[in-house]
Amino acid sequence: MLKNITVSCAPHISQPLSTRRVMVDVIIGLVPAIVAAGYYFRIYALILIPTCVISAVATEWLCNLIRKKPNPLESLGDFSAVVTGIILALSLPPGLPIWTAVIGSAFAIAVGKMVFGGLGANIFNPAMVGRAFLTACFGVLMTTWTVPATIDTTMPKIAADNKVHARTQATPLAWSKQAIKTKKGAHAVNAQFKSTFTGEIGGCLGETSALALFIGGLYLIVKRTINPHIPLAVLISTVVFANIGSMINPNAYIRPMSHLCSGGMLLCVFFIATDPVTAPLTIKGMWIFGIGVGTITMLIRIVGEYPEGVMYAILLMNAVTPLIDRFCKLVPAGGEPNV
Amino acid sequence: MLNMKINTKGRFTFPGGTHPPQSKDLTAESKIQPVPVGKQVAVMLSQHIGAVCQPLVRQGNMVQAGQKIGDCDAFVCAPVHSPITGKVKEIALRSHAVLGRSLAIVIDAYAYNPTKRPCPGFKDDLDENNYSAEQICNAVRQAGIVGMGGAGFPTRVKIEPNPRLPKETLIINGCECEPYITSDYRIMLEWTNQIIAGTKLARKASGCSKVFIGIEDNKPEAIEVMNTALKTHANNDDIKVVPVRTKYPQGGERQLIKAILKKDVPTGGIPPMIGVVALNVATVAAIAEAVVFDSPLTHRVVTVTGEAIANPGNFYVPIGTSVEELIEFCGGVTQKSAKVILGGPMMGIAIADLKTPITKTTNAVTVLTKKQIGRAKFARRQTPCIRCGRCLEVCPENLNPTKIAHAVKNNLLDVAENYYISGCMECGCCSYVCPANIELTGYIKTGKIFLAEQKKKKPE
Ligand code: SF4
Ligand code: SF4
Repeated sequence: MLKNITVSCAPHISQPLSTRRVMVDVIIGLVPAIVAAGYYFRIYALILIPTCVISAVATEWLCNLIRKKPNPLESLGDFSAVVTGIILALSLPPGLPIWTAVIGSAFAIAVGKMVFGGLGANIFNPAMVGRAFLTACFGVLMTTWTVPATIDTTMPKIAADNKVHARTQATPLAWSKQAIKTKKGAHAVNAQFKSTFTGEIGGCLGETSALALFIGGLYLIVKRTINPHIPLAVLISTVVFANIGSMINPNAYIRPMSHLCSGGMLLCVFFIATDPVTAPLTIKGMWIFGIGVGTITMLIRIVGEYPEGVMYAILLMNAVTPLIDRFCKLVPAGGEPNV
Repeated sequence: MLNMKINTKGRFTFPGGTHPPQSKDLTAESKIQPVPVGKQVAVMLSQHIGAVCQPLVRQGNMVQAGQKIGDCDAFVCAPVHSPITGKVKEIALRSHAVLGRSLAIVIDAYAYNPTKRPCPGFKDDLDENNYSAEQICNAVRQAGIVGMGGAGFPTRVKIEPNPRLPKETLIINGCECEPYITSDYRIMLEWTNQIIAGTKLARKASGCSKVFIGIEDNKPEAIEVMNTALKTHANNDDIKVVPVRTKYPQGGERQLIKAILKKDVPTGGIPPMIGVVALNVATVAAIAEAVVFDSPLTHRVVTVTGEAIANPGNFYVPIGTSVEELIEFCGGVTQKSAKVILGGPMMGIAIADLKTPITKTTNAVTVLTKKQIGRAKFARRQTPCIRCGRCLEVCPENLNPTKIAHAVKNNLLDVAENYYISGCMECGCCSYVCPANIELTGYIKTGKIFLAEQKKKKPE
């Protein structure tokens, strides 16, 4: 007869899903972008991505040691530090010196995540915190863009007014900023749409190839690792704003599709804005969050000084996420209880 | 119209919910078998929501099968009866799945005790107009019928007309959304006429004008059998079988009402507030037996199932039989260590004492294997909530489980209340999906207990 009877709370079965599984799925979703980065930037990608991952993981371990966790290796098992490392690496310029990347990853994990208490407690997306820190400290390094290895450097560059530089090249968004200032030249940027889509263009390591990011994002949505609300909200608000711009003056403002495929937009849409820890919980909140991210990004890109605004948009919306959550309190299915 | 193919695809459902593996194949084909009387039964004096029965017999008294042995005067109460003929050994504490330890009348069986078989006497000819509404209500009360789907609310209170809350719609719940359990399914297949008879009687008693029988579309046979049987019955124009989508917890009465009527039962309220009575198929079958044959609720169908049971099946069990005896009757267990659950794996209650008697609300005994236990939430390490929102997505009551659970964890009961902890139906969906292995439902249940204690301490 029965000897050891287990007693616990219902339910007694559970879905075979763990935080690690979720993170592994995100990593799988990032694989196309990693492959694209490897293809276009070769050795840079090979160095930068492992550097960021290793330093992120090591930082988490060190923080656990400092916090005197009984098992400092335990929290590494959920792979969230790996995800942060990869996303940070993908949002850095390929030619960034290694030491800068190490500092960035360490800052991302230590200040972006561990000071709040680790996974689940952080307010800001750690990767974006790291990137903001690097942008603030090493502005020049963070805006020096390497040309993809697949582009023949002896050929004239795509935009006519781009003075050929042996190894670096401005990003489409920088040109777009130029176009806004001079009120002409947006067409030239639009004409590069094909290269921004495939990724054969200057830019951050993993942000250039819209196609790869899109495939990865689709995988996550199909696998239901992320739900489509935030991506849709960001995409729709971006397109609306970009449309307004290009309707006002098609010479100064680039087309919506070019906006979507350039800069960190798709990486943000599928991998950063959807970071569950720093996004709202409710569906209504997700839409507010997504529309906020899209709107702020476009305001920075079109009106503001910086060519690229995704990072600041995310950080700003992260900051108001608790507020959004409070604002979007769910009403129970049966309505407010009348007690 | 008449020869139209019966549609067994369910379109109706409720928002939220999840899809745990069904695991019903273990017992779905197993016919309801009567279980012979054992040596002893322990009939709990509290098998329902409401006042606890007072014992009507004393130690040493002789009782007959079907004799009333406990009752009380309160309105919300249901008497209990002895399922066997024998001698009262004692009135003592026994383990109760919900109440911990509770008083039970322990009866030693006499040597000659015939095995009661399921009621065979139902055809398609019952005319409910032979009985008055009052008669039906009385019979239901005397037979001690309670909701047999799980909660155990006295049925008489449910069906009796109440001038303040007039009833319009009667919903018969044949969803059985819990994994593993097939008792209602077998009842629908084998006691079809009895269910329809009981439905008609309940309709008559409650004065409802519309009747829906909700069945999940993973039981197409049941839907067809019910539909076919309904065709031969007279006076059933307003009884409709509604296939509903297979999803857990479709069988929750609020969820079923939402699916069929598209109406929400108010939070913290009861179905009569929107003119609905919801009864389980096993309950209406018991009503039919009680009204027509005057026989009290002393036996019920229990699914004994789970991968650790040697011969799983559906059984017609005397109420009061101990779980141990029942498991033994099914050939025992195949493993040394396991988990014994009264009910299904989503909402059932794991018991520590195998002597726990079967009550009127026990629809299944599920025994899980060691491997399955290892995969369950509590056995895995709980990691921090990653705010993924899955629990909110599946919550059928549209609550914020993570917020409530963490409020309880941090002893912020007012926050938990503010996020409608009382609206939780404890379905377990949130715990089931959580990737961080947080036992959300457990925290919420605990929070409810804390709140109840707090309220008791300082009455307003
Ligand atoms: S499902 Fe678990 S991890 Fe996700 S939000 Fe709910 S409690 Fe947090
Ligand atoms: S909060 Fe309650 S009602 Fe909602 S999913 Fe969890 S257990 Fe079910």
